[in-house]
Amino acid sequence: MIEIEAVLEAFRATCPDHSFDASTMLTDETVIEIPAACLKEVVNVLLDTFSVYHLSTITGQDRGADLELLYHFWHGRGITLQVKVPREDARVSTLTGAIPGVDFYEREVGEMLGVTFEAHPGPEHLLLPEDWESGPPLLKEQPDEKGEA
Amino acid sequence: MTRVTIPVGPQHPLLKEPLSLRLIAEGERVVEATMRLGYVHRGIERLAEERSYVQNLHLLERVCGICSHVHTTTYCQGVEALLDLEVPPRGLMLRTLLCELERIHSHLLWLGVLAENIGFSTVFMYAWRDREIVLDIMENLSGGRIAHAVNVIGGVRIDLDSDQIDAIRRSLDELHGQVDDLVNVVEHEQTLKARTQGVGGASLEQIRRHCAVGPVARAAGLDRDLRRDAPYAAYDRLSFEVVTESGGDVWSATRVRVRETVESLSLCQQILDDLPPGEVAVRASRRVPEGQVVARAEAPRGEVIYYIRSDGSDSPARIKIRTPTLPALSMVRERLRDINIADVPAVISGIDLCVACADR
Repeated sequence: MIEIEAVLEAFRATCPDHSFDASTMLTDETVIEIPAACLKEVVNVLLDTFSVYHLSTITGQDRGADLELLYHFWHGRGITLQVKVPREDARVSTLTGAIPGVDFYEREVGEMLGVTFEAHPGPEHLLLPEDWESGPPLLKEQPDEKGEA
Repeated sequence: MTRVTIPVGPQHPLLKEPLSLRLIAEGERVVEATMRLGYVHRGIERLAEERSYVQNLHLLERVCGICSHVHTTTYCQGVEALLDLEVPPRGLMLRTLLCELERIHSHLLWLGVLAENIGFSTVFMYAWRDREIVLDIMENLSGGRIAHAVNVIGGVRIDLDSDQIDAIRRSLDELHGQVDDLVNVVEHEQTLKARTQGVGGASLEQIRRHCAVGPVARAAGLDRDLRRDAPYAAYDRLSFEVVTESGGDVWSATRVRVRETVESLSLCQQILDDLPPGEVAVRASRRVPEGQVVARAEAPRGEVIYYIRSDGSDSPARIKIRTPTLPALSMVRERLRDINIADVPAVISGIDLCVACADR
């Protein structure tokens, strides 16, 4: 079992412009917010320094102005990295180089929420048909100028 | 050598569910494999946002047609954490009993599918005959052979009297003898070994890179089982061995699964011997306080994870489901490389895939 404080220190050393803080979900799951620009470096620290290999999945969700990506890691306890990307320009770097198994998860988040994973080796649809044209299905409808959804 | 593309599926005798494989072969050897998912995508995550927490019990039970109970178990754990509910010990024990019966059913079903795919019809017949016993137990317990609707938020909806416990014990004793025979076949039968030993071997490194879980990972030596590592339901009150192997091939995965079936039978016996008295459920409010939660459970195929976010209403704002087949499929693309075409059925069956789970 790793010390969360040590993880935060290592993250701060990797990405000095950001003060990393941890919070806890109800089921003892640690949540750490990560700036999108630091994601790749921070995940490499998790893998190389703390041997946290297991990424359970990525949850993507529409939080209004932002889209939120939750990277659920497991090291005997859950540790979730929370990344927010602006809805209008939703892009984040791919993790397929470090964790090949992330391929399917990124493709699913990509098609369901319209997030671009930069430098992903094969960003085609995972579940949706190739000719799907109705837009990302998990985006909530945005209110128009009159405030109606 | 000329490369030939062999399309397999989405409808194909090798696959029980729709999945499209493209095998690129040079002569008899597969050099590259790609796959296409989504043929049974039902949009369950989106549908769940439009249903109440109670209605979702019925929806989420249908994510998988084999391990239906573990989905509602994981979902209930998450919602119960959000509601700060404590499930009575008897309810947790009965929930665990169904989880283990389901594991026995799933592993026996899988053994039959593997046997059929490698042309060993006798084991297929025996495994599926024996699986009937556990299906009958589940039907007597819940009224359903596959969809049991046993879990409710706050506990379970079934209870057992002493006659039912005796009847389940007799059935489990009968099943135990037959599973011991199957263990014997897997350990010693030359035909089965010849088709599975050294086939589709995955290294520990490969398992880690693809984040694979469950019996596939344990067959390669990854000692991880959420029932022991993060006990949920009543697993902290029960004793069992986490079965691991080191080979990583289809034979190792087979040995892991049949020995896990024996462990599950023992767990069921322990539960029936030590069923605490009292209520089986507590009442739960329809509205769930704001918050987010991650719940995990060990399904027959490995870790299932649910992320649930509540906005304080009676429907979830987001439910994310990841089933164990998805990482296994990611890994199997590598395992199909550089094998003989004749071994493709064994390698595909070896991961115990459930496409409906992966597609949701």
